[in-house]
This record gives sequence, C-alpha cells and structure tokens, in this order.
Amino acid sequence: MFYDLNVPWTDNHGELQRTVAFLDELGYDIVALTHTFSGRLPADLVGPQRSPLINVSTLHLFSHAQVWPTPSRGGCAPTRPDWLIGLTVPPQTPPIPLPLPFTIPSRLRILRRCNLFLTDAASNHRIPQLQQHYDLIAARPTDERTLQQACASLDVDIISLDMTQKFETHFKFPMLGSAISRGIKFEMCYSQGLLSSDPNAKRNLISNATQLIRVTRGRGLILSSEARNALGIRSPSDVINLASVWGLGHERGKDGLTKETRSVVEFARLKRTSFRGAVDVVYGGEKPAVPEQTAKAKQKGQKQQNNQNKRKADSMEGTPTSQKSSSKKQQRNQKPRPKAQQEPAAEKQVDQDNQA
Amino acid sequence: MVRVKHRYLTVQYLYPATLLESAPKDLPTTIQFRQPTPDDFGAGRLVQAIRAGVEELYGDYGLGMVNTGLKVNYHSTATSTSIIRCPQAHYQMVWAALTYMTKLPKPANTPVVVRVIRVSGTIKKAEEEVIRRAKQTVLQMKMIEAGMAEGTPVNAIMNAVEKSVTKEDARNVLAEVDEGEATEEET
Repeated sequence: MFYDLNVPWTDNHGELQRTVAFLDELGYDIVALTHTFSGRLPADLVGPQRSPLINVSTLHLFSHAQVWPTPSRGGCAPTRPDWLIGLTVPPQTPPIPLPLPFTIPSRLRILRRCNLFLTDAASNHRIPQLQQHYDLIAARPTDERTLQQACASLDVDIISLDMTQKFETHFKFPMLGSAISRGIKFEMCYSQGLLSSDPNAKRNLISNATQLIRVTRGRGLILSSEARNALGIRSPSDVINLASVWGLGHERGKDGLTKETRSVVEFARLKRTSFRGAVDVVYGGEKPAVPEQTAKAKQKGQKQQNNQNKRKADSMEGTPTSQKSSSKKQQRNQKPRPKAQQEPAAEKQVDQDNQA
Repeated sequence: MVRVKHRYLTVQYLYPATLLESAPKDLPTTIQFRQPTPDDFGAGRLVQAIRAGVEELYGDYGLGMVNTGLKVNYHSTATSTSIIRCPQAHYQMVWAALTYMTKLPKPANTPVVVRVIRVSGTIKKAEEEVIRRAKQTVLQMKMIEAGMAEGTPVNAIMNAVEKSVTKEDARNVLAEVDEGEATEEET
C-alpha cells in the first residue's frame, strides 16, 4: 500500500481528476487531498463541504457513496449538521466537497487533509475543531518559533516544511525528536524540486532534505508529492530511489511511503474516533436472534420441570454433570476405537442431551 | 572471470499532460497515459538527455562515472519503453536523472514522466519484463474494449491468463542472453 498524503486541492476538476487517475496508474492506493488555510482561519470554520447543488433530501444517499468506503471515517456522520450550516455561508477558500465532483478509480481511497500555515505563535488554531472536518491536520511552520511550537505542543499529525526556501538556522535534534516521540511525522515534498524552473529551489530542496534526514536520523519521515499537476508525480520506486540518493536508504525510503504514512493515517483516525486513542469499537456486532429462542426454551424447560416432577432425571440430563457421565459411558463402551472416531460420537451424545 | 558489471533499467514513458489530437475524448485514462512516443525521440537523443540530466545533477564527476557504460539496448517508440544499460555502481545517478526529466529533448518537447519499472542485473530479465508489460497492456485494453468494468474482476482474470501465457512463452526472448550471472533485482 503506497500513500501520497499531499495532493493540493484545486477548483480545476479536470486537472485534479487527471492527477488522481495518474496516481492510480502509478500504483498509489491512498491519496490525501490537501486544503490549505493561510493567514487567519475564517470565523465560521466549515470543513469539506457539500456542493450547494445537492439538496438536503439526497444527503443520506451520498453519505454512503463509493467515494468513502468507510463512512464512519473522519467523523463523517457526526459532522453532518455542520455541513448543513455550511451550505448557507460560502467559505473563503475552496473547500473539498464531500462527494467529489468527478469519478475516481475504484481502487483508490481518498482522504482529506488540511494544511495550516503557522505565521504567528500566539494565534489560536482551533485544531480540535478542524479535526472533526479533516482526516489529517498538517502544520507548515514559517519560522523558528512556530516550528518550535509545532514540535513541542501543537496537536497536529504532520509537520510539513517548505523545502524550497532556505532556513536561517539548522534543525536541532532535541526539537525534532520531541515531535517524533509524540508521533508527529516530518514531510518531504519532492514535486517542487522536479518542476520548479528556479535552480535555487532545487538546490534548497536537496540541501534541506539531506539536513532533515541527518537530524532526524531517518526516523519519522514521510515522502509525498505536493504536485499541482500530474507531471510532478513520480512512481513509488522512483521516489524511493530519490530518497536513497538524498541519503535516506532504500528501506527507510520505502517506509516513508508505506509504514510511516500508514501509521500517521491510522493514528489520526484513532485520535478522532476512539476513546483517548486507546479503545475503539471496531464492530459492535448485531443483536443475535438466537438468545431469544434460548430464553423461550428455558422458560419452556422450567414449565416442564414444574409440571412433570416425576421426570426430573430426564431434564437433568442437560446439565454438565450428566453430560460428563454420559460421555464417559460412551468412552467406556467404545474403548477399542481410535480417538479421532470417538470424539464426534461423544459430541453427538452431548447434542442429544441438549435437545432432550 | 572478472568482467565489467552493469545494471539494466527498464524504462517506461508516460504522458499525463498531453492528449493526441486524433484521439477520441472518451478514451480510458490508462491508454491516454501510454501514448506512443514521438518518433524523433530516438535512442541517440535519449542518451544525450540522460547525459545532460546527470551533468545537471552531479556535474562532471557524475558524467565521468556514468559515461563509460551508458548505452541504450532497446528503444521502442510505439510501446514507449526502453532498456538502458549503465554501470552497476552508479545506476542510481542515471535513475535520478531519469526521475528529474520533465520534458523530452528539443524537437519533440513533450511533457513526460519517466518511470523505471525494473532494475535488473541481466538483460534477459529486463526483456521479459518488457514483454510481460506489453502483454498486460494489450489484455487490459481488450478487457476494456469488451465492455468489462474497469477494476474489480479484470485483475483476477488477467492474472490467470498471464500465468498460462508465461508458462508457454518462458523462453521467448528478444535477444541473446548474458550468460553466467545471477539475476539481481531491485524495485
């Protein structure tokens, strides 16, 4: 399972559909569409929104559409009222409509992710609110202080640095290490380095990537594209080779596309759905029809017991003690037989006892 | 006996951005991506492009390391595949140069995504991979043409057919085989 956790959402649906189809062609399984918030967050924070064309009566049909193979993921069901509120107020930036406006390949799973630009350490990012609307939350620190804040305290899933710019200071292990130990992953986006016409951007990307690999010691790194069109995407094996050229090594590079990304997605999901990230009801089970019957049977049995006191011995056969004795009897009778044949016979006897 | 060792990169060209004018609009996307390569992009131009890419990424040192063993063994514009031979120790440089390639060289100038589909120690395995891919593509297209839904049952059927085909044509290879070397592969 290969993951690409950063494909920017655009309003150009044709282009985005080609990008997603191309990702499928190259062998990616799970793709996260990114919606970027820059500057201050809008006052009415509406997450991925339904397009206004869909009226309320059809909403329940779409909530189980194929686009979302697991409807409970990312808090789809609980946030429905919010979407309805959101329909009345158009947001400032293009959000991701929930039934995607184009068809996606059947094999692919789509996640929604939001990118937060951290410009000011003092501002409140309302991350718990965002968590209800998106599957993944990523922070993009712009300077040293916000990076420190994101590593130490912010409750985000991914820290995504802009690799094309030059950072004033070197990364330090204690800072990044605290983030990694909290389960936050660092993201390296390769697409800018491939497509950008500015040679400085390419150089910065390579130098930043090697720095990040050196400081994190290869742990907690994920690789993603951030490709604005299909041309910026490379196949998983190409990306792994690129990472190994940058000094990450083949194994770690593969982990950056499979293991680490999966862990960040699942960890984010658990944070949202489970109780304190520890206990989650995966399948509660259905209410079985069998217990009712047995209850009835019990009642019947009791009645019988009350009515026919004489035949007490018969009704007692259902109890474990009588089972044991009867099966022992069976064994004694059929001693010369091999063991494998004995057991089914004993079971049969038990069944008969139960019926009685 | 000691001899010079190589790596063979099997390479596929994909065209996610452009659509042929003659192509119908409702063509399945997998076919759209696998257009034939323009004919003026020959083996010579490919070698030049790789050299330019390696020089851009690694400078004179890289070019010197790669230049000795670089050769295009097989190049097919119709199926958009080629097999490139490069020195064993520095195949990653060539691979990175291919990854960084975004356009075909000058006269064609088409936006392209180059994808390495196989790294092999012998040319035999590389050729087998090319044949396998071509067969798979043809089968896939036939399935789509026959009106079967893209996706679910197709893969299972294709795998079954593929197995039977590979049994028959295991020995059907394009060219002579490098002898006496164990296959080493990485993907």
